[in-house]
Amino acid sequence: MLALDIRNINKKYEDFQLKDVSFQLEKGYIMGFIGANGAGKTTTIKSILNLTRIDSGEIRIMDKAMHTHELELKQEIGSAFGDINFYMRNKIKTLTNVIKIFYHNWNDETYYSYLKKFNLNENKKIAELSTGMKVKYRLALALSHGAKLLILDEPTSGLDPVARDNLLDIFQELVEDGEISILFSTHITSDLEKCADYITYIDNGRIINSAEKEEFIDAYRLVNGKAEQLDLIKNDLISYKKNSFGFTGLIHTQDFDPSLDIKSTIPNLEEIMIYCAKKEDAHV
Amino acid sequence: MYNLLMKELKLGVSPFFYFLPFLTGALMLIPGWLYFIVLLYFCFLTIPNMFAGYKTQNDLIFTNMLPVNKKDMVKAKVSVIVILELMHIVIAMIYGMISLRLYPNLIYYFYGPSLGFWGLCFVMLALFNVFFIPMYYKTAYKYGAATFAGTTAAILFAGGAEWLGIQNSSVFNLFKGTGTDHMTAHLLILLAGIAIFALFTIIAYYIAIKRFEKVET
Repeated sequence: MLALDIRNINKKYEDFQLKDVSFQLEKGYIMGFIGANGAGKTTTIKSILNLTRIDSGEIRIMDKAMHTHELELKQEIGSAFGDINFYMRNKIKTLTNVIKIFYHNWNDETYYSYLKKFNLNENKKIAELSTGMKVKYRLALALSHGAKLLILDEPTSGLDPVARDNLLDIFQELVEDGEISILFSTHITSDLEKCADYITYIDNGRIINSAEKEEFIDAYRLVNGKAEQLDLIKNDLISYKKNSFGFTGLIHTQDFDPSLDIKSTIPNLEEIMIYCAKKEDAHV
Repeated sequence: MYNLLMKELKLGVSPFFYFLPFLTGALMLIPGWLYFIVLLYFCFLTIPNMFAGYKTQNDLIFTNMLPVNKKDMVKAKVSVIVILELMHIVIAMIYGMISLRLYPNLIYYFYGPSLGFWGLCFVMLALFNVFFIPMYYKTAYKYGAATFAGTTAAILFAGGAEWLGIQNSSVFNLFKGTGTDHMTAHLLILLAGIAIFALFTIIAYYIAIKRFEKVET
C-alpha cells in the first residue's frame, strides 16, 4: 500500500512554482526529500498537509484523497516543522493537554513512555527545549495519537551531529514494524545516506528524480577527465566543473559510454545534488 | 468546535484578559464619565494584544495542523471574542448598578448606566465586530488595519450617540429626563441592541468563513 501518493501537483506563486510534482512513498519506509533552500520542499509539504491550496494535482494518503478526507487523515498524520515554534512560553504539559483532546486515538500510556524515552520533562516550557528536543516532543505527540505517516520538514537542521544521528536512529526504529512511514525533508545529504529507503530530489519546483536510494545513486556517474576529453562528453553531461587537472562532471549512467577513456565513479548524494542544481542554474 | 474553543481559552487568551473587564468595569464608578470608553477599552487593549499573541505564537499554522476544519476555526475565535465582549458588558453593568446607587442624584451630561445605554453599547460592539472580524480574516494574522477600522466605527457610533443625546430633545428626555419612567423604552433599546449585536456578529462570521477558506498558511 502507498502511504503517500502525490500526482502532478502544481502551485504557482508570483516568483516560484511547483511544476508537476509527483512521487510515491510505500508504507513502512522512510523517504528523504532533498533539495536546496528554496527548491520547494516546504511548499510541497504544506501542500500535502493542505496548509497551502494547490492549483491542480492529487494527494492521496493511505489510499484516501486528502481533499475529501482531510480531517480523518489528519488524525493519522504527525507533522513537524523544524523552524516554526508554537506557544513557546507554555509548558509541555499545558500544550499536550490542549492538543490531545483533538485526537480520537490518543493514548496517555504511549505518550508518557515516549516522554521517558526521549528524556522530556513535561514541566519544561517549549522555549527551554533544545532544537532536537522540540522535534522529539513533536514525535512523541504524533506517536501518541497513533500517527501512521510522519511528515517532517527539516527535522534535523540545526541539530548537532550526535543529536542528528540519534534522531535518525529513532526514525529507523519507528518504521521497523512496517506500520509507520516517514517523509522528511532535509538539505543535509548525509542524513539520507544513513537512513532513507527512498529519495526524492526537488530542484526549482520540479522533481528531478524519485527512487529507491541505491537506484537513485546508481542512475548517475561522476566522471573525471582531462581538459581535452571534455568536448567528447560535454553534451551528455548534466553539468561539469573545470579544474587544473581537467574536469569533473555528472552524467546519467545510461548516457555514459564506458569505451571512452574517462574515469567514472559512483557519486554521493551531495555530488548529485550539487551538479543537478548547477544544471538548473545554467538554464536560468 | 468545543475542543477548539478550549484551545483558544487555555492557550490563546492570556489570563490577564479575563481580569481586565474587572479593571475597566471599575471605571463605571467615575461619576458622570463618558461610559462608552469603558467598553472601548476592549477594542483598544484586548483585541490588538490578543491577536498579536496569535501572530507571534504562529497560531494560524498551529491550528491548521490540527484535525479541524476552517469553519470551526473561525467559529471558535468569534466565540472567544463574543465571550470576552459579554464579560466586559456584564461586569460593567454590575459596576454601573453600583455607580447608580453611589451617586443617586447625579446630573449626567453623557449617558448614565441605564438599560438603554447598554443597548447602545451592544450596537457599538456589533459595529466593531462587523468591521474587525471580516477584515481580520482576509489574512488571519494581520490585525492592525482591522482593529483600526473596527475601533473607528465604534468610536464614531459612540460619538454620534452622545451628540444625539445632547442635541436631540426626545433622546435627551428618554435618557436623561427627569420624572417619567422610560423603563419599557430602555428595555426595548437593550433588546434591539442585543439583536443587532447577534445579527452583525453572525454576518461577520459568515463573511469571515468565506474569506478564510482562501487564506493560505
